[in-house]
Amino acid sequence: MARVTFRNVWKKYGDFAAVKDLNIDCPDGTFLSILGPSGCGKSSTMRMVAGLEHISAGDILFDDKRINDLAPKDRDVAMVFENYALYPHKSVFENMANPLKLRGQDTGRIKDRVTQAAKLLEIGHLLERRPQELSGGQKQRVAIGRAIVREPKLFLFDEPIAHLDAKLRAHMRGEIKHMQRTLGTTMVYVTHDQLEAMSMADQIAVMHEGELQQLGSPREVYNKPVNAWVAGFVGEPAMNFLTCELTREADRLSLSHPNFSLALKPDQAGCLNGSAGTVRMGVRPDALAISMTRPAEPVITGEVFVTELLGGDMIVEVQLADARIRVKTAPEFAGSPGEACYLSVNRDKWHAFDIDTGRAYF
Amino acid sequence: MTDITLSPENSLRHGESLFRVRQLQDNVEARPAPSRIAEPTRLNPLPSKAYFFWLMAPAIILLACISIYPFFWMIYMSLHEVDIGSATWNNFENFTKLFTDTRYLKGWALLFQYSLMCLALQIGIGVFLAVVLNGARFEKVLVTALLMPMMMAPIVAGLVWYFLYNGTFGWYHWLFQSLGLLDAKSILASPNTAMLGIVLVDVWQWTPLITLITLAGLKRVPQDQLEANMVDGASPLRNFFSVTLPNLYPVLLIAVMLRFMDNFRFIDSALVLTGGGPGNATKILPIYLFEVSFKFFKLGRGAAIALTLLVVTIILGMILVKVFDRQQTRKT
Repeated sequence: MARVTFRNVWKKYGDFAAVKDLNIDCPDGTFLSILGPSGCGKSSTMRMVAGLEHISAGDILFDDKRINDLAPKDRDVAMVFENYALYPHKSVFENMANPLKLRGQDTGRIKDRVTQAAKLLEIGHLLERRPQELSGGQKQRVAIGRAIVREPKLFLFDEPIAHLDAKLRAHMRGEIKHMQRTLGTTMVYVTHDQLEAMSMADQIAVMHEGELQQLGSPREVYNKPVNAWVAGFVGEPAMNFLTCELTREADRLSLSHPNFSLALKPDQAGCLNGSAGTVRMGVRPDALAISMTRPAEPVITGEVFVTELLGGDMIVEVQLADARIRVKTAPEFAGSPGEACYLSVNRDKWHAFDIDTGRAYF
Repeated sequence: MTDITLSPENSLRHGESLFRVRQLQDNVEARPAPSRIAEPTRLNPLPSKAYFFWLMAPAIILLACISIYPFFWMIYMSLHEVDIGSATWNNFENFTKLFTDTRYLKGWALLFQYSLMCLALQIGIGVFLAVVLNGARFEKVLVTALLMPMMMAPIVAGLVWYFLYNGTFGWYHWLFQSLGLLDAKSILASPNTAMLGIVLVDVWQWTPLITLITLAGLKRVPQDQLEANMVDGASPLRNFFSVTLPNLYPVLLIAVMLRFMDNFRFIDSALVLTGGGPGNATKILPIYLFEVSFKFFKLGRGAAIALTLLVVTIILGMILVKVFDRQQTRKT
């Protein structure tokens, strides 16, 4: 178990910088998820930790010990790969025994550890099989088994469940989280799926184009995104963005749009102090309420564009003057396309971003 | 919950199940009700067997003329005393005499010696070169240069090496002598070294094939397996033997199969270099066969030797194919 620190870490491929000046401090026992779209540098980051990529600049530390120059085998990490990377010519037992065997453990102990780990993962009956005879979910568990037979300082999981079908993936999210909590080993978990990061991690590091955008708990990242990009990336369905004008009438600051004009709360107005002109308003589909009858305090008027029933929820796309926004509502919603509808905003849960830089005001 | 601080050691000892897979299967994979869909009453017809036969007929006929007819003719000859214009039945004498023919038996021994030496050197050097060349700078240029020997006709290669080995002006001869490896005699002139002489030519000419096949195999070794093994704790050398090499087995088997069959058939360069000499030191079976048939014109006996050679080649080939198949089924 170890605390992992990234100190001004860069990864450059020629002139292209895949990771730029990364600083993360991941305390011992933390489940850290590195989240970002493909090409954001998250895999390069993990591979630098594993020792599979050279660290172009900066340092990575395990428990304050610089590990830049250690070979992968000397870093004492265990990694699970996206495609499982099982050895096809070895049986499940031999696959799981490999890390112990390479560290010169004696046969009896290897057998003990592997059978215990296999029991834990409920793959005890598969030990004699070869990887080709296993299903995707089984292979994935063998790959995890190979990681947990040792007591590594650190687990590195590189999109380990991306190739499973949706149901098994949802199941494995809970299992992996439970496993990490039980073993208490520090975990770095790379994923492009914001749902995985949200549901499993203690800390999420959101990356975009090689830069760390935000580091925080899932709640912080979801509720207090630091910029419009993070706000748009995290959350499904994605946050709605509308371009609004800031208007001031009688000391009250409002966001104005062809479809509405809504007053800001005093503390929010405080955050915007001094700025004027255009801002991007952001509001999540679940912070909006839709109704077909005009409420007492009408807020946004639009018309229903299309409805999508998702079983337990319904997503309604609403056409405004210059944009479409999505609203999450109950499946009983009865509006049909073309009808006028009314949206009210939960003003504790909306955001304003700088129109140019995307920086969040609140 | 105190479990959170458990080390893996402890939780492993507790044997607590981390993965509730069986529950999942019970929940998720509920069996559908048995199917009530009736079988179709009529299936659409497949093309008839005759249709496929006629499609293959031209190839079969061509093969029959150039390959199957001579094959049966060889069997016929092997059972007869053959002379120009006549063939008399001789009670399997062609075969029975083989068992007492020391040169025939020696021919087999030399053939296996020759073949194994060639294979061992070619695989060893070929794989080594492939590993060195894989991903190297100028890889393509170097590989192309390396392939040159293969493009040369074997008989030409034999002649070139014949001159290089020559005891008075051969460059290699001079080299070997300067290194103290040879005395005054050419490598081909001494019964002890002549075999090595013809092996070297085959190695020079055909190692590039092994390198080429191995390179193709190396490109397909999964990178993530190599990396997983590195993280598991393997040194680069260990990684080569425990991941790269097992992934190369199928291609190496194909290479072995090709080369051993070639060694049993292609004797051009050996024939040019030594013709089986000095004495009978390099008289591998195909050379002996050539002598019997086309120097002594004992066509019947030659055919008998050829038939035994063919049978052994087929058996060895089948064994290799079996091994290869087992590798493949393991893979899928």
